[in-house]
Amino acid sequence: MKELVEYMVQALVDEPKMVAVSEITGGQTTVIEVRVSKQDLGKVIGKQGRMAKAMRVILDAVSAKYHKRAILEIVE
Amino acid sequence: MKDFMEIEAKTIDEAIEKACREYALPREKLNIEIISEGSGGFLGILSKRAKIRASVLSIDMDISGPFHEMPRSVSKDIPVETQDVNDIDIDMAETSRKMIEGILSRMGFPFPVSIKESDEYILLNIKGDGSGILIGKGGQTLDALQYIVNKALNKNGKERKRIILDTENYREKREKSLVTLARKLGEKAKRIKKPVTVNPMNAHDRRIIHLALQNDKELVTKSKGEGAFRKIIIVPNKKG
Repeated sequence: MKELVEYMVQALVDEPKMVAVSEITGGQTTVIEVRVSKQDLGKVIGKQGRMAKAMRVILDAVSAKYHKRAILEIVE
Repeated sequence: MKDFMEIEAKTIDEAIEKACREYALPREKLNIEIISEGSGGFLGILSKRAKIRASVLSIDMDISGPFHEMPRSVSKDIPVETQDVNDIDIDMAETSRKMIEGILSRMGFPFPVSIKESDEYILLNIKGDGSGILIGKGGQTLDALQYIVNKALNKNGKERKRIILDTENYREKREKSLVTLARKLGEKAKRIKKPVTVNPMNAHDRRIIHLALQNDKELVTKSKGEGAFRKIIIVPNKKG
């Protein structure tokens, strides 16, 4: 899950080296935290949060496969 | 230093902060496992404390290091070419294919992708397993993937080529069902002589509805609403 988010975010931003993704695994729920450089924040969130939403939809598809839940947090 | 540390605090966030201080490392370099999420209880009574187990990540994730040295759990190593995309003119279709395959393999769906290119767009067809998991409800998963690939490849400046994702012939089936829906609602509008509203849809789907009814002289189609809520209204002509 973490590699997936990392891959997508790095493809979207201008400074892929500044991308840091961490994963907090719980029993049922996994929280994935994304940090990017300040200029890239808008790219990861998207217009009206469309990009964040798109990434969450993709995570939901993967979670459904493993019967888990994933929460994507974009941290400033 | 012990291999791991068990830390209790009021909330998980606090526990993680504590762990970072204990190890004197940023959050990204710690592996955190939640043992108990804790709960506020009732007015502090019966409150459970959050408990986590923290350890230093075995593979040192140096964020300043070269990009390709990031640890990967996926065996299939697909190079990410995002940095090259903008200045060097490399084959966009091939790059987009690699990217979508990269995402799919990390999703746990290592499906092959084929390319069909025209002047206006690149069509990437994912050979799915027939489960429809990549399509999602109303095509939302497929659309999300398509959106990300488009943004990643057309990120700087001028729009290049549109990338269209398809799997299991979904786009064609969707178009057929939308045309059927449009005709059905069109008939209804004529019958009840009142405007009929179609559920909110994205631009692509709305276009299909408009086109399906454009030759019907007895009907007019309009769009109303903003953003994700934009929807079509099918209005019967006054004479009709």
